[in-house]
Amino acid sequence: MSLRGGLLAVLLVLASPAIASNTLIVAGRSVAVAKSAMTVTPDREWNRILSPPAPNEVWTIDGQDLNELDFFGGIATNQSLFGEKMKRRSRPQPFFNATMLITDVPALLENSYRALININVMAIDQIEPVTFAGHQGIRFTYGYTPRDEVRRKGEAHAAIVDGKLYMITFEAPALHFFDAGIAAARAVVASATVAATKK
Amino acid sequence: MRRALSLILAGLALAASPAAAAEPKPTLPPFSWAYQPVGVDERGLWMEADDLEREFRDSRLLVRDEALNSYIHGVLCRAVGEDRCKGVRLYIIRDPSFNASMAANGMMQINTGLLLRLHSEAELAAAIAHEFGHFELRHTLEAFKRRRRSTDALMWAGITGGRNGANLQLAIIGSFFRFKREEEIAADIRSFEYLAASTYRAAASPAIWERMMAEYEASAAARKLKFRNARRPSFVDSHPTDMQRMVYLKALAAEHGDGGEDGVDGYAKALAAWRPQFLADAIKLNDFGGSEYILAELARSGWTKELLAARGDLYRLRGNPRDLTVAAQAYRDAIAQGATDPAIHRDLGMVLLRSGARADAATALQRYLALRPDAADKTMVALLIDQAGATSGAAVMHAESGAPAVSPGSPANAPPEPASGGSAVAGARALAPANDGSTK
Repeated sequence: MSLRGGLLAVLLVLASPAIASNTLIVAGRSVAVAKSAMTVTPDREWNRILSPPAPNEVWTIDGQDLNELDFFGGIATNQSLFGEKMKRRSRPQPFFNATMLITDVPALLENSYRALININVMAIDQIEPVTFAGHQGIRFTYGYTPRDEVRRKGEAHAAIVDGKLYMITFEAPALHFFDAGIAAARAVVASATVAATKK
Repeated sequence: MRRALSLILAGLALAASPAAAAEPKPTLPPFSWAYQPVGVDERGLWMEADDLEREFRDSRLLVRDEALNSYIHGVLCRAVGEDRCKGVRLYIIRDPSFNASMAANGMMQINTGLLLRLHSEAELAAAIAHEFGHFELRHTLEAFKRRRRSTDALMWAGITGGRNGANLQLAIIGSFFRFKREEEIAADIRSFEYLAASTYRAAASPAIWERMMAEYEASAAARKLKFRNARRPSFVDSHPTDMQRMVYLKALAAEHGDGGEDGVDGYAKALAAWRPQFLADAIKLNDFGGSEYILAELARSGWTKELLAARGDLYRLRGNPRDLTVAAQAYRDAIAQGATDPAIHRDLGMVLLRSGARADAATALQRYLALRPDAADKTMVALLIDQAGATSGAAVMHAESGAPAVSPGSPANAPPEPASGGSAVAGARALAPANDGSTK
């Protein structure tokens, strides 16, 4: 039993560099994100954090705990934001549905966080209509406190295009890091396009 | 084998003896006024618990409502007695899972998910007296010592056990969890004895476990998962099963009789200001079956406007076409009963919009803006009103690229599918398995 545990630990250590392989995203070049029809052009360098099982794509400047840009590309009906299976026993996540109103998306994000990362106190602050990636969408702001008790602020832009959800969220500690990083995040958001897809 | 065993025993004796010799036995109960921990182990545990308590004290997840805190403290005092309760510090944590715990130093944590699921003062008294029982019986200290002994023994069994080492290790692990379960039973019995000696109805406690079993079943059924309440615990369960607890508590109740006070009204009154929040926290966990069960149980004495509003939210979030109908009716009933939260009109409007009832949707959304003119989502809602009023048959703000108006045959006209799954009750459960070493 303990031998097996030790073996597992060794394997994990050996495997971890591959899991955590990051990629530099250079400024001024257009890239497709989240294996989807969405492309963005950042105005500064970012690091892409590779997290294989999830369909979302994660970028950061200083590390995920300090600033995190998440791309959700083409989430279809009955898919969850973070790619959990529907039958998952203990922590079922909510699923996107093409019949949702775009105003249901903030609750989709909030409830995914509650289920996925044990966020018990989270609030959506402001919701307003905007054009996102050339489509009518919303911008909403939110705040939550995870287990580390460091309050986070977030800003999300989302649109539903051809029945699929496209969203970019930026999150950082409310203290300093949100304000410090939001301009770079908004530059990425402003550059986003979602190519028209054939049905 | 025999040689291996004797080696292990020798090793254990060697490892245990210096500490055992130095460790004085506490003579006073831990709830004694200004009690100071005795011995290395108890002092260490208290120090760790003190650290943890400082974190809790400053936590953003704490419910700081003084009235609610002092109410619960009052219930504890009525249950276990004034002399015992006065040193206990209470921390109510915003956590929708059903749990409570008590650390070695007399810090009690209660999840809001526990408060939501209880129906009376007597049930609350039983739950927190159970935690107090762990504290009084020094179970955290016992568990700590046992864990140390077990891990020592595990190591020795691994080194010296040879081919039988694995079996020995299994036996050690098994006995560790069996002891934990025995402590839970001891705390249940202690709690029952406290209530039997108090003015509360001691026979109230089995109902808690009956409802928890029903909730897990409802939760699983809504997700089409197989679930059966276990009659006996598995090898590594830290708690007896809900079924066992219900059975032995019922046996105690039958012996003791059914007298005593339930305090249903007092409990409902004390929780009134918070219940909508606690319900919202539970509903947002996507556990449709479990949340529906909680609501139905709370509504046994009638559907109040708060319960109706919560029901509306639950069905709105699942979002099947039939759910939207139920949600709209629940919101309307809540409004008819005098619900005053402006958000209920917005939620009603959204549900009607998704169902295609545009005119009614626009009316409800306008009502929301009239009641809350500077709402944080006012421009969004105003746009929805415009679109709802614009054309008929239009796809409103969803599944549509570019223009807000229509496209016939857009997904708006397609039959909607479930928006969310149900779920099991999240996280640790029920006065239940500890999620860290210092509490239980």
